[in-house]
Amino acid sequence: MNAMVEEIFATEEKDILQEVMNIAFGQASADLAEVIDIFVVLSVPNIQVIQGRDLPKYLLEEIHSSGLVNIIEQGFLGKFSGQALLIFPCGAEKVLLNLFNQGAEAVGGCDIDVDTLELETLMEVGNILIGACIGKIAELLQDIVTYDPPRLIAQDFSLEHPKCCPIDENSFAISIRTVFRFEQEDVEGYLFLITNQRSIEWLKKALYAFLESFE
Amino acid sequence: MVKSILIVDDSPVARMIMKKCLPESLGITIIEAKNGQEGVEKYQQHQPDLTFMDLTMPVMDGFTALSLIKAINPQAVVVVATADIQEKVLQRVEDLGALLTLKKPPSKQALADALKRAKEALAQVRS
Repeated sequence: MNAMVEEIFATEEKDILQEVMNIAFGQASADLAEVIDIFVVLSVPNIQVIQGRDLPKYLLEEIHSSGLVNIIEQGFLGKFSGQALLIFPCGAEKVLLNLFNQGAEAVGGCDIDVDTLELETLMEVGNILIGACIGKIAELLQDIVTYDPPRLIAQDFSLEHPKCCPIDENSFAISIRTVFRFEQEDVEGYLFLITNQRSIEWLKKALYAFLESFE
Repeated sequence: MVKSILIVDDSPVARMIMKKCLPESLGITIIEAKNGQEGVEKYQQHQPDLTFMDLTMPVMDGFTALSLIKAINPQAVVVVATADIQEKVLQRVEDLGALLTLKKPPSKQALADALKRAKEALAQVRS
């Protein structure tokens, strides 16, 4: 954790946030498993908080697969507001579609082409994960959020592109890195919750309130 | 009677929540471990009456730790605490010999119920 992050969140705040995310990801595993009907394990999410302006550099350093990614974006609005970005390396959509499709008829049998189905699968996974994560955070922290529909904002996109992350430089990014393990297949995914100073202030108070609720 | 509890969880906040939810009046000795491996070592060292076990942890996960603890003591009373309540997870921890699964974050009532079940299980083992 760098000096800037420590300024944004104190150690105790980060520990509470980490536990809230652990719970949220546990719930997300269960939700995703219900949809695709196979056993899903999400690794212990690694949480970092970074400034918006540092996100492109952070992404380049952290996601070093082929360099090409797909990015799904979904806005959320509540006391905790912002946009969620779910980033998968290219190729993850094929793995996910195969998993979604296990036991079903061959993809070629329907009217939609495979490329579209793969992207729709990414959007659906994004919708489930972002919904479960934000929803659980909101529930635990006594907030109510509404969502925009998820959308694919970048396809086969290079993180070296100067406009890879269309976010406000003054915002904050809560980075949640996890590996989705689907029985035999691993897919690495990155979830970023991009939020503003006001939401961060609310989040800090809500995290302490969450802990105090167990008194 | 539950006199000692081992809480195995990588999150210091999860361990703190668990301790806060336990009834203070019982005077229970709490032992903490921050991953499965440490949990197994502390189980062997302290032989607690009850173990609360998280599943998703670095170094060693809760499934492995649970099976190792059961290998040390087949009568060990272990309650799994997890937010991941997939049917296959529940089935697996049951097969490994967990007494029950507690959904995270635990409520005081859920924890009181788990303690009651643990006391009954201990009484059965000791009789």
